Amino acid sequence: MYEGTGEALRLEAVRKVYGDDANRVTALDGVSLALPAGSFTAVMGPSGSGKSTLLHCAAGLDRPDGGRVFVDGAELPGGSEAALTRFRRGRVGFVFQHFNLLPTLDVLQNVTLPLRLAGRRADRTRARAVLERVGLGDRLHHLPAELSGGQQQRVAIARALVTEPKVVFGDEPTGALDTRSARQVLGLLQEAVRVHGRTVVMVTHDPVAASYADAVLFLTDGRIVGHVARPTAEQIAERMTHLAEAAERSAFATEA
Amino acid sequence: MVALALRTLRHRAGGSAASFLALLFGATVLMAFASMLDVAIAGDARGSARETLVLMATVVGGWGLMLVVLAVVSTLTLAVRQRAAETALLKSLGATPARLARAIVGEAAVLALLAGALAVVPGVLAGRGLLALLHSTDQVPEDIGYTFGPLAPVMGIGIVLVAAVLAALVTARRTTRGPVVESINDAETGRTRMSKKRMVAAGLFLALGVDLAVVTATVMRDEAEAAIATAGQADILASIGLALLAPVLVRRAVGLLAGPLRLAGVAGELAAAGLRRRTGQAAAVVTPIVLFTGIGIGTLYMQATENAAAKAAGTAAAAEQENVQTLNLVVIGMIVAFTALMVVNTLIAATAHRRREFGQQRLAGATPGQVLGAAAVEGTVLALVGLACGTVASLFTIMPFGSVRGGSVVPEGGPWIYLGMAAVAFALTLGTALGATRRALRTPAVVAVAAS
Repeated sequence: MYEGTGEALRLEAVRKVYGDDANRVTALDGVSLALPAGSFTAVMGPSGSGKSTLLHCAAGLDRPDGGRVFVDGAELPGGSEAALTRFRRGRVGFVFQHFNLLPTLDVLQNVTLPLRLAGRRADRTRARAVLERVGLGDRLHHLPAELSGGQQQRVAIARALVTEPKVVFGDEPTGALDTRSARQVLGLLQEAVRVHGRTVVMVTHDPVAASYADAVLFLTDGRIVGHVARPTAEQIAERMTHLAEAAERSAFATEA
Repeated sequence: MVALALRTLRHRAGGSAASFLALLFGATVLMAFASMLDVAIAGDARGSARETLVLMATVVGGWGLMLVVLAVVSTLTLAVRQRAAETALLKSLGATPARLARAIVGEAAVLALLAGALAVVPGVLAGRGLLALLHSTDQVPEDIGYTFGPLAPVMGIGIVLVAAVLAALVTARRTTRGPVVESINDAETGRTRMSKKRMVAAGLFLALGVDLAVVTATVMRDEAEAAIATAGQADILASIGLALLAPVLVRRAVGLLAGPLRLAGVAGELAAAGLRRRTGQAAAVVTPIVLFTGIGIGTLYMQATENAAAKAAGTAAAAEQENVQTLNLVVIGMIVAFTALMVVNTLIAATAHRRREFGQQRLAGATPGQVLGAAAVEGTVLALVGLACGTVASLFTIMPFGSVRGGSVVPEGGPWIYLGMAAVAFALTLGTALGATRRALRTPAVVAVAAS
């Protein structure tokens, strides 16, 4: 049994298969990885490479068909959705491309919601402090629809951080944002790692966004095919071009 | 018909399907009763038999038009609001309000014609059943056989078509006005303001309800037996008036209940926030609950009082009383059954649209149990508001009729009628809300938020 040390996330031979017998797609083909606490990792790959599936399985949003997932030393439980939900609370936070804030709750209520759902006290002082940190201390009682996309994503980051999770997962968190808002969001994720010691795993297709990370993992056909530490946007872009070409070649070869 | 209805709902569990079902059931009821006119003409009915047949057809026809309009307005409002983002997009692309309105009215008209055509077979069956009932109570002689058409299909389809177009015009006016940006924001939050016209209409129906109640209590004092006609309609009018006020009443109720709701924990808070910001949808659900409880409770107590009074007067008039009672119960039973169906129908439509919202709650850390908890709290509040309004509306019938026929504003029948109706209202609301929510929870959360 793996003991919690400096590792925030560990995947052991994780497999995920979609579809029925007639039409089977292997989204993850035995992925293993270990990410140290306090790291910022970007996951990249051509579309259909299994990036989102990897994120969902690692975050306990979806169950792998094989292999094991550990977050902060604890293994993802079997059983009901409720068990998975309780597992995620306090261990993981999420930031999605389309924010997924609750439209009927105001900014402060959205940020305290995970605490309330976990049966913890809605610590408004802490929620306010986190919202100050993301620059929205003056928007506490606005509804999501009254904010810009960049502001909504910053609320989502505050909501992800308020429970002080071990790992924060981002699924294309800058995908719906303009360049300036994207930079702010990436800066906040970086700060969560550098200043507050969180671990961030982010799926993205944007080399510039990925260059904010400490390391980039490349995924193709459900397998990890590369790893670049301290990447620059140029390095990443070049690598992605190669991967895309390779993917096209192999697709062409399969068809022929 | 039920199987078809369910299939429709499964494929398009939105407001349009709900409108279609409202029209389908409305058309069935209307045709069944309208065929009594055909029976009267073809069978050359005379005297009291003719009177009974014509009365049944016209009374249900009139109320049917009003109730179908109301049911279609509330379901169509849901349908249009569920597509508010699409509408806002079309507006920003340059579609004029007139063109959007035409699209809504056109869709409603097609739905009505389709529903009318499909209602013919169940309409014939229900009409046969109705005539069999009238035969068995000797209100219509056995030698008058069943006929369907030409009036039944013409009236049935005509009335639902008129109802659908009226409802679509009301809905279209409300949703296609206003600047583009505002529509997009409203689509996100689902906020609505009560229009002045709605307030005026509510006031009008309530005033008519009061009028009939006063007429019952004064003019009818000397003709206590005829009071059933005026008193029986007072609660329908009052129910419609209060149902029209539902958006305001829901908001008030949530304000009042904010304290107790907080005691229900995070489920209560989610429910309160949802109800406060989505009064439009909440009102659509409350409307049929008000009608169901208002008309149901009012009529049952009126009948209990009437029965007690007839018994006290001796058995001489018993046969005639029985006929009046059958008529009363059949007509009102149809109306109440229709509204009960609308409760289920509207709630399913309103809940199916919230898959994404439930997904967002789950991703924020809510267990399926917590999502169901919030839905249960919300359903309870809606049922409470509906029951409270329905209770007030039923008094429009119960009090004047009781004072005229029973000598007391307190009706006969004891508390069980009330408790029974309240229990049915709660069971319908909560059962449907929880069932539909559970169904929505079957979609994995990540998938639910992706499909917008």
